[in-house]
Amino acid sequence: MTCFRRLATGLLLGGSVSTLGAQSGVRGAIMVRGVAALTRAEPIPFGESLTELRVVQPTVMVEGTAFGDRLRFVGSLNFESLTVPDGELTPGGWGEGYVDRRHPHTTVHELNLAAVDVLGSFDRGARLGVVVGKGFVPFGTDDPMSRPMLKYPVNHHWAQILERAVAIAQYEVGPVAIEASLFNGDEPERAGQWPLLRLADGQWRFGDSWSARVTARPVADLEVQGSYADVRSPEHRPGAGGDADKLSASVRWHDMPEWGERYGMIEWARTSELDGFFVFRSLLGEAMVRRGRWLAAYRFERTERPEEERLGDPFRSRRPHFENSILGITRWTLHTMRVGRELSDPVSRLQITPFFEATVGRVAKADDGVFDIVATYGSNRAGALSVGITMGYASRRHRMGRYGVIADPHHAVTTAHVTH
Amino acid sequence: MHFRFPAVALVLAAALGCSTTPPGPDPDPDPVFTATKVAGDNQTAAPLVELATILRVSVVEAGNAPAPGRALTWTVATGGGTLSAVSATTNSSGEGTARWTLGPNAGVQTVTVAVAGVTLQLTFSATAVVQGPVDVLPTLVATVPIPANYGIHDTFVRDGLAFVLAWNTGMRIYDVGNGRSGGSPSNPILVSSIVTSANGVAGGAQVHNAWWFHNPVTLQKRYLFIGQEGPASVGNTSSGDIHILDVSDLANPVEVGFIRVPGAGAHNFWMDEARQVLYAAYYNGGVIAVDVSGTLAGDMSSRIVAQAQPGGSASTYVWGVMLAGNTIYLSDMESGFWALDPITLATRGGGFNVPERFGSDLWVFGSWGYSGTWGTRGGVRGNAIKVWALAGNGVPTIADSIIIPDVGTISDVAVTPDGKALVATAENLGSPGLYIFDRATPSRPTLKQRALVTNGGLHTGEIAIIGGRTYVFAAKNPPSPALQIWDITGVVP
Repeated sequence: MTCFRRLATGLLLGGSVSTLGAQSGVRGAIMVRGVAALTRAEPIPFGESLTELRVVQPTVMVEGTAFGDRLRFVGSLNFESLTVPDGELTPGGWGEGYVDRRHPHTTVHELNLAAVDVLGSFDRGARLGVVVGKGFVPFGTDDPMSRPMLKYPVNHHWAQILERAVAIAQYEVGPVAIEASLFNGDEPERAGQWPLLRLADGQWRFGDSWSARVTARPVADLEVQGSYADVRSPEHRPGAGGDADKLSASVRWHDMPEWGERYGMIEWARTSELDGFFVFRSLLGEAMVRRGRWLAAYRFERTERPEEERLGDPFRSRRPHFENSILGITRWTLHTMRVGRELSDPVSRLQITPFFEATVGRVAKADDGVFDIVATYGSNRAGALSVGITMGYASRRHRMGRYGVIADPHHAVTTAHVTH
Repeated sequence: MHFRFPAVALVLAAALGCSTTPPGPDPDPDPVFTATKVAGDNQTAAPLVELATILRVSVVEAGNAPAPGRALTWTVATGGGTLSAVSATTNSSGEGTARWTLGPNAGVQTVTVAVAGVTLQLTFSATAVVQGPVDVLPTLVATVPIPANYGIHDTFVRDGLAFVLAWNTGMRIYDVGNGRSGGSPSNPILVSSIVTSANGVAGGAQVHNAWWFHNPVTLQKRYLFIGQEGPASVGNTSSGDIHILDVSDLANPVEVGFIRVPGAGAHNFWMDEARQVLYAAYYNGGVIAVDVSGTLAGDMSSRIVAQAQPGGSASTYVWGVMLAGNTIYLSDMESGFWALDPITLATRGGGFNVPERFGSDLWVFGSWGYSGTWGTRGGVRGNAIKVWALAGNGVPTIADSIIIPDVGTISDVAVTPDGKALVATAENLGSPGLYIFDRATPSRPTLKQRALVTNGGLHTGEIAIIGGRTYVFAAKNPPSPALQIWDITGVVP
């Protein structure tokens, strides 16, 4: 108990703590992150523009390792239910009943335990891992929160599967890692909601959906992944909604030369709902360069999304659905640019980064449904400007949503100890 | 993209920590403002009637100078009425106004208005007085929960049996006065249920609507037609079949056949039982007429004897169909209200006559037609009931448009068999529920009573006469779906 008491004390004080050194191997770290941003979106549904000052992504995350890194714990609390209960203004953003706003994430965003290298030396250098808890499903790419831009891409719900009760089996051999998971298909309806494990009639929701992902690192700093997910009724918690077949492929580069940092990623995603009655596609490319304290980033995205009947609040759609109808499909082509400057040392634990971010683009109909873009937005243009400041502690370069054998080893722990 | 205010304003707003969203009540009341009621207090009117005098408040600064731009928050405090044409802020004269429609019950009702910068809120009072005979209110006599497997979409009632169409839960038959199981409208008794086949349509059974065919030629009551509402992109595509059930043994319904229109999906039905013809709205497929005489089994798609897309392939998305007199009437979501020949389905007239809203269900009684409206089209809510004057050959001409405030969709309309009442079900926004209009003047029905059903509203309402009383079998939407049975006898005497 002593080591856990010391671990908890250390976490509360901030930063990392190593208890009993190498004897027990129990280490932990706390990460904190939040962004204060003033965003002006123009146009907005049934209005010209809207400007809001909000704190988004307020997150406290705890990572811990024990038994020589064979046991890993991840827990993250997200307080967006308090700071953006109506969602974050985001051009093209949608999901979980929000439209043109990115939904607030669930308060307990991640909470899972991973056993890494379960077989030790029995599998001759390979590593078998098991992850159980709440969090991201092994599918698609990193959560946008841990990528360069503030505004989430339109493809968030095509390229990530989050906030599920999930059990993951992992096997890593050499540069290749294979993951398979079971999880509950339903996405949350509100920030305080837990994944539904079982319906009232006894039927299990946990395990009604599955995914698989292959990740390869053919050379250092380069990562390639391909994944598939079969998701049961994601948008109707009791299970009467349509199922989704999801595909994702991506290539990612990230390195840190002496002069700074380079990152690039290209992803393709496709979701087929209701046996292919609706098909949504996404292509996204993004890059970031940091030189000294200055950083610049750019993202291109072309993503299709469903248009649904809106409620009295034009930023909300009906959840749960009444039926399997939509008003049409729109295609969002967006360019997002960002410039920032680190006020703190770019490799220190503390992060203070003022930034400016702009999104411009166009919306087009992708089918002949009745959804009327111009009647809704006044034009077929989309855009937003944000100025703000990202503040964090030990949260840089954290890859949210990667657990067990594919997580960056000791990310928080090692980051917290970096000094220059 | 063009941003109209300079970055300096952004920075200033950030520094002030403020939002430029529409102003709410001032969090730091400023005592220099004074608010007074100017007009509209202490009025008297009948329930559900808009008060004659607009509520008006005046806000002044110290020295009695008008205070423009002060945020106003109007609230119905008691009585359940509604407010419309509400001022969110005071005008250049420092005044703000609101229109007040009283709630359904007699007695004193109140509205409050909070003024930014003024500590005390103002209260307006009005008295709802029932004049003449005491009004009869619709009474909820039974609520039958339906599994939230999307819930309930529609009900078909005949011979004291209610066929509840409950999406992926299937079809349920309740005795509500038939006598076979001792049920009644206030005590529905489940007779049987069946989950129809998905028939290869994505999404499952998706049981939506039905018609129990009483064949006057064979005197059989053998077949029940069920509409399956599959996935759809409104205005473009749809899916779902007509399923044919043999209900000779009501305790053991059996699915025996189906009808399919490739590339389109079934919606509401009507029948010419004497001719043994089923009419089905088929969204982008238009409307079809099906010969349902004789024995029905297997794929009956070859029995389709006529099909029409009155709005053309680009503007046809038919919600509802009804036979009245010698005319088939259609309500098309995109192209409005139509009159067709019942044999050939050739267009007689109408169409492209509701351009500002999407259409929904319809009803025809005598020489008047009524159609609901749905969703949002070009920013205009589906809060209107269209009134149609029908010529001798059925050709419709728009006569009026009744607006129901504070609802987003009027998804079903029907007239009672005695022609006295027009009943509508409403969804979305703040005042969904059951609305009952007096048809004393058919061209301009007036609201008689309403029963709000919040938390989802009502999707459909089926009128049935059972034991001499008039009931509405209403489909309450999720999140707590249910069959609600309302007794509306005497509401419109």
